[in-house]
Amino acid sequence: MEKVKVMIVDDSKVSRTILANHLSRTNFEVVAMAKDASDALLLYKEHNPDIVTMDMNLPDSDGIECSRRIRAIDPEAKIVMISAMRDTNLVARGKEVGIGAFLQKPVSTNEIIDALMTLCQKKVSQVAMLRESYAKIFVHSLRQGIFEMLGVRVDPTLELYEKKYLDVNGIAVIIGLTGTPNGRAITYMSKDTMKNYSAKMLGTDDLTEDEIQDAVEEAANIIIGHGVSNVNDVFKDKELRITPPGTICGAGIRVASPKLTTFKLTASTDFGDICVNVGFAEGE
Amino acid sequence: MDAKLVNPFIDAFMAVMPQIGFPTPKRTKVYLQDKNAISAGVVVMVGFTKQMRGNVVYNMDEDTAKFIASTMMMGMPVSEFDAMAQSAICELSNMLSANSATNLTQMGLEVDISTPNLTIGQGFSIKISEGQYLTIEMDLGGHKVDIAIAVDRNN
Repeated sequence: MEKVKVMIVDDSKVSRTILANHLSRTNFEVVAMAKDASDALLLYKEHNPDIVTMDMNLPDSDGIECSRRIRAIDPEAKIVMISAMRDTNLVARGKEVGIGAFLQKPVSTNEIIDALMTLCQKKVSQVAMLRESYAKIFVHSLRQGIFEMLGVRVDPTLELYEKKYLDVNGIAVIIGLTGTPNGRAITYMSKDTMKNYSAKMLGTDDLTEDEIQDAVEEAANIIIGHGVSNVNDVFKDKELRITPPGTICGAGIRVASPKLTTFKLTASTDFGDICVNVGFAEGE
Repeated sequence: MDAKLVNPFIDAFMAVMPQIGFPTPKRTKVYLQDKNAISAGVVVMVGFTKQMRGNVVYNMDEDTAKFIASTMMMGMPVSEFDAMAQSAICELSNMLSANSATNLTQMGLEVDISTPNLTIGQGFSIKISEGQYLTIEMDLGGHKVDIAIAVDRNN
């Protein structure tokens, strides 16, 4: 894949260096570093980067004003603000001038890459964007959720799910996602796994069918809830929300997902696979 | 559950169905339920967030789903409940939910809706509420659609 050109605007040399280090092992290439707004404008014209990271505090201006001027030169310019402070007022003003994402310092490599990937969609396919920006966050929350609930370490796999149906024999907890992107996350497992899981979770296997279902539902709430919180943390301008769970139970259930791009996450444990299928509406 | 929250869904059904070829939808039964619903064959679940949270389920048998899909597509024969028919049912659920959302806005409730989740299979259990929820039975020219509603204001 072609390298994506990045320009860093920050008055602090330390911050510029940290950011450049974050990006050095990725597909993003830092083509320019500006220490103030006037530098930024000159370098933008010279290098025409695909994406700009913008600090709020600049010696000759501020990040909002500098972004406004860049967007005046190039209305398509993609800018992510990375600043020490972040409040709704700043986000609102930033959105007005066309800043696409907001991150708070210090940023992790994952955060910055997720934000950059989302913004430069013209460079990466929709599927890659959804995978990198969203699905991977749910992989993390699946791993974390299982560890917190059961003390078991898992390394979930992630794959694009292209089959027509998702087949469920056991239980599936469906949680809707509203906001951008719109979608749904289905946490599912087989009948045996749900019994084993709830027994391990609650420390007894003397459980009714309802108690078993409730245990799985709770797990789904935790895993998907964490995932959505993490998405909202990474993309400060997103407000993804979850619907209450709807739980289906039985054999030979087929879930069809027309017009969704879906990913299958599988966490293999000693007592069976815990799977999540997370899907996002196309065109988001 | 606040009974006032149910009317926007009934109104949406009554308003949308005539537009897609069902001139006289009838409400045949309304009842409270606390046990899990059972799939009649095709189940679409739509979730709501923001000022009202919950789930709404459209539950029908496969014949009814095919009949609705066929009517929506101007009488095109639908012998299998295939991808196109599934899309039609999802589209219908979207229209019903979006229309319900508009009705809710007029009551002062801002809501967001999830993508419809279409599930196929007979006899599986569906749980959308910890407590009681309302089921409305609708009749479409001899075909039955159950709308199960479990929603609450989000304070």
